[in-house]
Amino acid sequence: MKKNVIKILTLLMLFSFSSVYASTPVADTVSPEVSTKKVETYQVQSFGEMIAGFINSTGISSFISPSPDELSSHGEKMSDFHKSWGRIIMILITFLLFYLAIAKGFEPLLLLPIGFGGLLANIPIAGIAGPGGFLGIMYEMGLANQFFPILIFMGVGAMTDFGPLLSNPKTALLGGAAQFGIFGTLVGAVALAQYTPLFDFTLQQASAISIIGGADGPTSIFIATKLAPELLGAIAVASYSYMAMVPIIQPPIMKALTTDAERRIKMSTMRHVSRLEKLVFPIMVLVLAILVLPDATPLIGAFMFGNFLKESGVVDRLSDTMQNALINIVTIFLGLAVGSKLAADQFLVADTLAILVLGIIAFSVGTAAGVIMAKTMNLFPGNKINPLIGSAGVSAVPMAARVSNKVGMEYDRSNMLLMHAMGPNVAGVIGSAVAAGILISLFS
Amino acid sequence: MDTNLVVEGIKFMGLGMGAVFLFLSVMIFLMSIMSKIIHKFFPEVQPSTSSSSSGTQDNQKKIVAAITAAIKFHRES
Repeated sequence: MKKNVIKILTLLMLFSFSSVYASTPVADTVSPEVSTKKVETYQVQSFGEMIAGFINSTGISSFISPSPDELSSHGEKMSDFHKSWGRIIMILITFLLFYLAIAKGFEPLLLLPIGFGGLLANIPIAGIAGPGGFLGIMYEMGLANQFFPILIFMGVGAMTDFGPLLSNPKTALLGGAAQFGIFGTLVGAVALAQYTPLFDFTLQQASAISIIGGADGPTSIFIATKLAPELLGAIAVASYSYMAMVPIIQPPIMKALTTDAERRIKMSTMRHVSRLEKLVFPIMVLVLAILVLPDATPLIGAFMFGNFLKESGVVDRLSDTMQNALINIVTIFLGLAVGSKLAADQFLVADTLAILVLGIIAFSVGTAAGVIMAKTMNLFPGNKINPLIGSAGVSAVPMAARVSNKVGMEYDRSNMLLMHAMGPNVAGVIGSAVAAGILISLFS
Repeated sequence: MDTNLVVEGIKFMGLGMGAVFLFLSVMIFLMSIMSKIIHKFFPEVQPSTSSSSSGTQDNQKKIVAAITAAIKFHRES
């Protein structure tokens, strides 16, 4: 027994020695340049020079007179404005995001990590968002390859209940109509690029911007990193801040498009949905996506995986992890990584303004299209639909459904629309994933 | 090469909305078929709540008995 152990140990030692010897020459040949860069030679200098050097390396001095050879996180040259005032403006913007998140309660779960990531990304010298900085690492780890949005989708799937949709399937059409916000804005964005000299969006960039109208954060980020990574910061911030502003944006549009009688429509009570139906549904939708649109399957597949585990009822531990621990961890990483794109040189450009404006148009058009679709469906025979639930067709789960419920209650205290609105709401998630798949398939 | 982006955008819109509605319509169709089949062939058995709760009570009684026996055994030994 002892002999065996000794034999194994000597073998291991031999192996490790040989591997050390084998690896050293390789390392020497591969990285001469890297090693010369990394070794910082210390030169003798007087105390005065040391102090001057220290002053030059402070944040104050680099805000006032930025060093000319400092590069952006992409390794490109930045203008002096982006290095000095631009950074200060961006830091103030992140403070505004903190205020909105903490005092106003606007999507704090995402706006706080995004805002703080933006704060860190605008620190001079440290290069936190650069290739070696921790924000840069997070970006490369999970955003550049669209990994984090997929994980978020899993968690959202595990939180979603398709019961309301299954009990009233035709409300799924409302979720489809609301995707008009995406494609209508796409036309608007390319029209801006075509007929104004100010903006120069490519079709890819226009598509990435218009997906804000899907009102679905992870989908927006997924598409933006795939089609237009340079616009990611602005798109993500616009997407999440508008989602937070759903209770402000939607009600005026909903009220303008409906009559008083329509807002008082009572919907028939929902039928009971059996467990087997809920279990078959995710597989059915996934199979449909496989047959019709494989480009949408990364999003729909992850979404339905989460939902399937939840509805199976036998892996509560896994579904619980996805709904809580996993989605929380990924949210931290995703928020910080998106924040790293709030660096001044990428955010303080004219395009950002256009993205913010186009985003809110996309949201409003989507809301209006959902309401109009509900009114159109009421022209046909069958159970009447309260048009107020049409606005919930933009995803923004569950905020949009809550808004429908709240507006409905304003006109009739006894009219509970929440569960009815959840149907178009979850259909909206599927609809925007399908729209995302189409956009991807058009460019591949 | 001068392409009219707006025309391209409108084409995208046509295809996109068409595909979204096609997908959701087929989904609605399959959903209604699925629920019909499930309701016909696999009707959900309403679990009678009384029997299951009495079952758990039985189990609890057994557990209590086992615990008391264990304590007794522990004290005696």
